[in-house]
Amino acid sequence: MLADILISAFLVVSGVFGLTGSFGLIKLPHPMMRLHAPTKATTLGVGGALIASMLFFHFKLDQFSFHELMIALFLFMTAPVTGLFIAKVHLHRNETPDTLPPTSTDRPWASYESDAERAKIEEAREAD
Amino acid sequence: MPTMETAGSFLPIIAALPFLGALLPGLMIQAGRNTCTAFTLAPTVLALLLLLISAPAVMRGEVLLFRLDWLPALGLNVTFMLDGLGLLFAGLILGIGVLIILYARFYLSREDPMGQFFTYLLLFQGAMVGIVLSDNVLLLLIFWELTSLSSFLLIGYWKHLPEGRQGARMALVVTGLGGLSMIAGMLILGNVVGSYDLSVILTQKEAIQASPMYLPALILILGGAFTKSAQFPFHFWLPHAMAAPTPVSAYLHSATMVKAGLFLMARMWPVLAGTPEWFYLVATTGLVTMVIAAKIALYKDDLKALLAFSTVSHLGLITMLLGFGTKMAAVAAVFHIINHATFKAALFMTAGIVDHAAHARDIKRLGGLRRLMPVTFAIATVGALSMAGIPLLNGFLSKEMMLEEAAHTVWAHSHWVVPVLATLGAVFSVAYSFRYIVHVFLGPERTDYPSKPHDPEFGMWAAPGFLVVLVVAIGVAPVLAEPLVKATAASVTGGGLPDFHLKIWHGVTPALYMSAVAVAGGALLLAFHAPLMRLWLATPRPEAKTMFDAVTRAATLAGRGFTDSLHDGALSRYAGIFTVTVLGAGVFAWTGGASLPATRAPLPVALLPAVGWVLLMVATFALVAFHRNRLMALVLMGIVGLIVSLGFIYLSAPDLALTQISVEVVTIVLMLLALNFLPHRTPAESGPAKRFRDAVVSIAGGVAVAGLTYAILLRDFAAESISAFHLDKSYKGGGGTNVVNVILVDFRGFDTFGEIIVLGIAALVIFALTDAVLRGPGGRWLTSWDPVGDEAGDRHPLMMVVATRVMMPIALMVGVYIFLRGHNDPGGGFIAGLIVAIAFLMQYMASGFAWAESRQRVTYHVTIGFGVLIASLTGIGAWFAGRPFLTSDYGYITIPPLEKFEWATAMAFDTGVFLTVVGAVMLALNSLSSMARRTGETVNIFPMDINPARSDDDDDGEGEGEGGR
Repeated sequence: MLADILISAFLVVSGVFGLTGSFGLIKLPHPMMRLHAPTKATTLGVGGALIASMLFFHFKLDQFSFHELMIALFLFMTAPVTGLFIAKVHLHRNETPDTLPPTSTDRPWASYESDAERAKIEEAREAD
Repeated sequence: MPTMETAGSFLPIIAALPFLGALLPGLMIQAGRNTCTAFTLAPTVLALLLLLISAPAVMRGEVLLFRLDWLPALGLNVTFMLDGLGLLFAGLILGIGVLIILYARFYLSREDPMGQFFTYLLLFQGAMVGIVLSDNVLLLLIFWELTSLSSFLLIGYWKHLPEGRQGARMALVVTGLGGLSMIAGMLILGNVVGSYDLSVILTQKEAIQASPMYLPALILILGGAFTKSAQFPFHFWLPHAMAAPTPVSAYLHSATMVKAGLFLMARMWPVLAGTPEWFYLVATTGLVTMVIAAKIALYKDDLKALLAFSTVSHLGLITMLLGFGTKMAAVAAVFHIINHATFKAALFMTAGIVDHAAHARDIKRLGGLRRLMPVTFAIATVGALSMAGIPLLNGFLSKEMMLEEAAHTVWAHSHWVVPVLATLGAVFSVAYSFRYIVHVFLGPERTDYPSKPHDPEFGMWAAPGFLVVLVVAIGVAPVLAEPLVKATAASVTGGGLPDFHLKIWHGVTPALYMSAVAVAGGALLLAFHAPLMRLWLATPRPEAKTMFDAVTRAATLAGRGFTDSLHDGALSRYAGIFTVTVLGAGVFAWTGGASLPATRAPLPVALLPAVGWVLLMVATFALVAFHRNRLMALVLMGIVGLIVSLGFIYLSAPDLALTQISVEVVTIVLMLLALNFLPHRTPAESGPAKRFRDAVVSIAGGVAVAGLTYAILLRDFAAESISAFHLDKSYKGGGGTNVVNVILVDFRGFDTFGEIIVLGIAALVIFALTDAVLRGPGGRWLTSWDPVGDEAGDRHPLMMVVATRVMMPIALMVGVYIFLRGHNDPGGGFIAGLIVAIAFLMQYMASGFAWAESRQRVTYHVTIGFGVLIASLTGIGAWFAGRPFLTSDYGYITIPPLEKFEWATAMAFDTGVFLTVVGAVMLALNSLSSMARRTGETVNIFPMDINPARSDDDDDGEGEGEGGR
């Protein structure tokens, strides 16, 4: 009985965050903001479903399910990389170095630093 | 005395020896020119010895046979036969072959690749021996085509000379086309008789000549024989083939290849000859060829051209004799084949010697060589006098017999046409033979030879010297050649020869008068050569080469026009034609046959498949709408691929689903790379009308496929499906419970074997194409290529690099797991190969291809090669167990700490599949990335562009945890 409630609760949490993430994806005005919304869906949304699934296997079928941990691991590894590349594409398509906020160092955003410039800086640093 | 069985068993060895020997010279050239020559001589001499061992039985009148069933269902068997005719020709081919090899050793200069030459020569020799020994018509045709191919290589041996290349091409076109026509003729003949064995065909004279197909078969077969033997109007290729080195001319164009046509006519003589059709076709062609070619030969200044046309003329003479259809004419033909081979090969070699010594082949630049080259002069004189038909030399004997036969041949009720024309041919023949002596060797010595002429070393004149000894010996004592002529003529005519003796003096006969007229007339013609030559040069005549070039050009244009109208490189046209054709075939089948009534009720639509279907449809329509945006098209294709894999899972095909999804990943990554070099948008190249037409075609195609699928799904299979067999035998026979995998590596292992070879070849072709593109204008274009928009910095971000490094061992482990469980659960070598390839691909995406590749110790070519090799060895392993190729075996073993587990030879085969797949995918990736590097993309030294660990202090310059090379 308790297990049922627990499983249901995680499923509800998962559903709510999944919905929020999707809603945010539609509603948020700016691409960089929109990048945030699906992360809720992937971490908490999918995470809730995975926990629910593990509990279900443990309490209802009396076996330990390993797959969910792997799914979580792969999500944690892939989601940030995907996000990074989407952000980079966005920078190159819609922004210029001037429209971006300053980086508070003397170097530009990494995506706008050419190979030659970076090599020069690193060389100078190694010479120190 | 060898029995017939054992003697017959030499035949395949004789035919195979030159082919096996052909491997040697190419290797042995490393050990020097003499060793190379010795290793070329060895197989030839050995084959000749085996032939001589078999000779006594044949001379007694036996026919040696060897039979091995190869493809009995097609009537194609390896059957060899040695009778008199075969013995004569095989003896000529191998005997003169030995002399030619000796001569070539001294003829070829240091710059010429000798190993290559001897390899070609042995290939040719093997093909010729194969022709004359074959008892099966189809086998004979195979060897026939092989002579065309190998002679192409020999004629074009001096690849740097345009004449050599063009001559080789012309010879190949003419003799190759003739070969095609002969194939058709022989197939008709085999059909009429009901067997493709010559020994059977040769007994069916009445059936063949009564058949309505006799004339077509005759014309087609003669097409092959006439082209090969350079009979008018196909004679033009032979003079152009003289661009070949002289040993080739002496061997192919006097003694052997051009005689293949004569051999064939002689071979088929018992069944084809004796009809008016045969007489008028063959005898007339021979007569016309003899006269025309002899006339042309007289006006050729090039020594080899003179000899070439004289060869054509003599071939015409022999053809004419065969065409007469009488037994004595056949005897004369056989005798002249022997005589012509001896004196003409010797003459060609002397022409080569003169060319070698004086650096000139033009008669105008020669003359007076008598004292400078006495030995060559002696050899050439004997040879040329024999060709002219002077008594006491062998040419005289057979020419007398020819004139004798011609004297009483009636052509279209006329008693004089053949004798007069034959005498005319003999007149020209005498004239050009005398010219060869008088204009080259006699006359005053000159001072302006391009090089100081001198007699060559012994090795070079030994071969022609030996041949002219034969010329004189047979000429003086024709009895020597009599047994061979009798044995050969007996097999040409099918027995029942009249009693005859070869002798010098026949008494005062018409032939003697004709001979005398010929010699006198020839001498007269030569005396007036200068004014006649001016007249010849002043008269316009058709130039064969320009006509040939025009015809081939027209044929090429027509062929290209036809091909281009169907397949012009535009995918849309290609797909359109394909779709319309398939639609047509489908409509034909649907309206022509009956279909069973529907026996199954449609299932209700469940929610999950419906969602998938909607996604599929949306992706497809979106693809149609946005296909001009290439990146978008790729994304949409990815969706389609994913849905298809899900569909496979839903329909319980996990193997297919795994394959589909991994193929999908690899394809999308490779296409993304390729997309880098393409415009971002597909330009609109066709107008609205064209697009409407294409839309109609594609919709019709799609609807038809959907309708057909629907119809099939509603019916049970018409025949019982093979699945039951597979399910039943999978575990018991193949030792695996995963039926799909057992089918791949066991039931249909041979298919898979072929497929991995194709995959490997495809990858190598991609590599070769890329390489060719980068060398050509494409490479220059890429070098100056400016990518659209500016490139991003930090292309190898830390996050991606670390993530892929962490995932690498996991991915490899998944690959191993999938591979190992493949035989019993979804998986196997193919899928595992794709997974491992993806694991590597990730590293390349993260750190750049060049960086990752320099950490790879085994090249992909080697990986592919090893894959195919392992698969082959596994297949061969079955032979040691006495079972057919690729039969698999399995069993169980227990290694103490582990549980009992299964082993299967299929596992080794699967390893081959695995390696090939990995190598092929990675090689394709390598090819594409080499394009990127050509555009000037830099090769990074570090695995990631920005590495916080590096900037803190001076480390070893590598990323964390990354071992350098």
